[in-house]
Amino acid sequence: MSETTVGAIDTRAESNLYMMIWAWLVFLLIAGLMIFVLPIPRTAAVITIFSIAAIKAGLVLRNYMHLKHEHLILYLTVLVPALLFLGMALTLIPDIVYRHALGLGR
Amino acid sequence: MSAGVESIPLVVETDRLREIPIGRMAIWWFLASEILVFGGLITAFVLYQFAHGGFAADAEHVKWRFGAFNTLVLVTSSMTMIMALASARANDRRRTRMFLLFTILLGCFFLCVKGLEYRGEFSEGFYPSSGMFWSFYFGMTGLHALHMLAGIVINLMLFIATGRDNTWEFLQRRIEYGGLYWHFVDVVWIFLFPLLYLT
Repeated sequence: MSETTVGAIDTRAESNLYMMIWAWLVFLLIAGLMIFVLPIPRTAAVITIFSIAAIKAGLVLRNYMHLKHEHLILYLTVLVPALLFLGMALTLIPDIVYRHALGLGR
Repeated sequence: MSAGVESIPLVVETDRLREIPIGRMAIWWFLASEILVFGGLITAFVLYQFAHGGFAADAEHVKWRFGAFNTLVLVTSSMTMIMALASARANDRRRTRMFLLFTILLGCFFLCVKGLEYRGEFSEGFYPSSGMFWSFYFGMTGLHALHMLAGIVINLMLFIATGRDNTWEFLQRRIEYGGLYWHFVDVVWIFLFPLLYLT
C-alpha cells in the first residue's frame, strides 16, 4: 500500500471519528433538552444536565482539541485554572449558604 | 571496534515536552487565562444564586429554543473547523477552504440568532440594568459573542491565507491554533447554555 493511500485512509478514519463525535454531541444536546422538558425533580435535572455538559466538553477537548494525544503539561495547563475557580466556589459556598440561611449579609 | 570505544545508540530518546511546538503551548496558556475569565463569571453567577435564592422569575424569560438552536450551530461549526484541519493535514486546499468558509458562516449565523434574541429581550423591557440575572446574562453572553467575533475574524484571515501561496506546514499550524481557540469558545457555550437557559 502506498504512503498516499495510507495517508488517505488515515484522513478518512479521522474524518469519520470527527463526524461520530459531532453525532454524539447532537445526541447529548437532545438528551439535555429532554431532561429539561420532562417533569423531573429539579436537583436531579440540574445534576444530569451539567453532567451531560461535562461529557460534551470532554468530547470536544479530547477529540477536537486533541488533548488525548498531548503531553501531560497541556492537561495541567487546562486543569489548574479550572481547579482554581472550582476551589474558590467550594470555599465560598458554605459561607454564603450559611449567611443566606440566617438571613445575614443582605 | 577497539575496546573502550562506546557504541552510539541506534534509538535516541527525545524529550516529548520539548517537541510541543511553541505556538501550541502559547495557545493553551492563552486558553488557560480565558478559563479564569469565564470561570470567574460562572462562579460569581452560581454563588449569587446561592446567596439570593436563584433567578427563577427572570430566567423564565430567556428563550431556550434559541439557545438550543445556537448550541447546535456552534457544535456543527466545531465539527467543520476540525474537518478544515483534517483537510489541511491531507494537503487538500479546496476542502480546507470549504470547511473554513462553513465555519465562518455558522459563526455569523450564531451571532445573528444571538442578535435576534437580544432584540426580543430588549422589546420585552429586559436590559443589562434590569436586575442581577440580566446583568449576568448579557455580560456572559455578550463576552462570549465578542469571542465568537474574534474567532470569525481569525478564521477569515486563515481562509484568505489558504487562497495564497503559503506552505502547508504554515497553514496547518495556524489552522490548528485557530481551531483550538474556536473549540474553546464552543466549550464555554456548552456550559453557558445550561447555566443560563436550562437551570
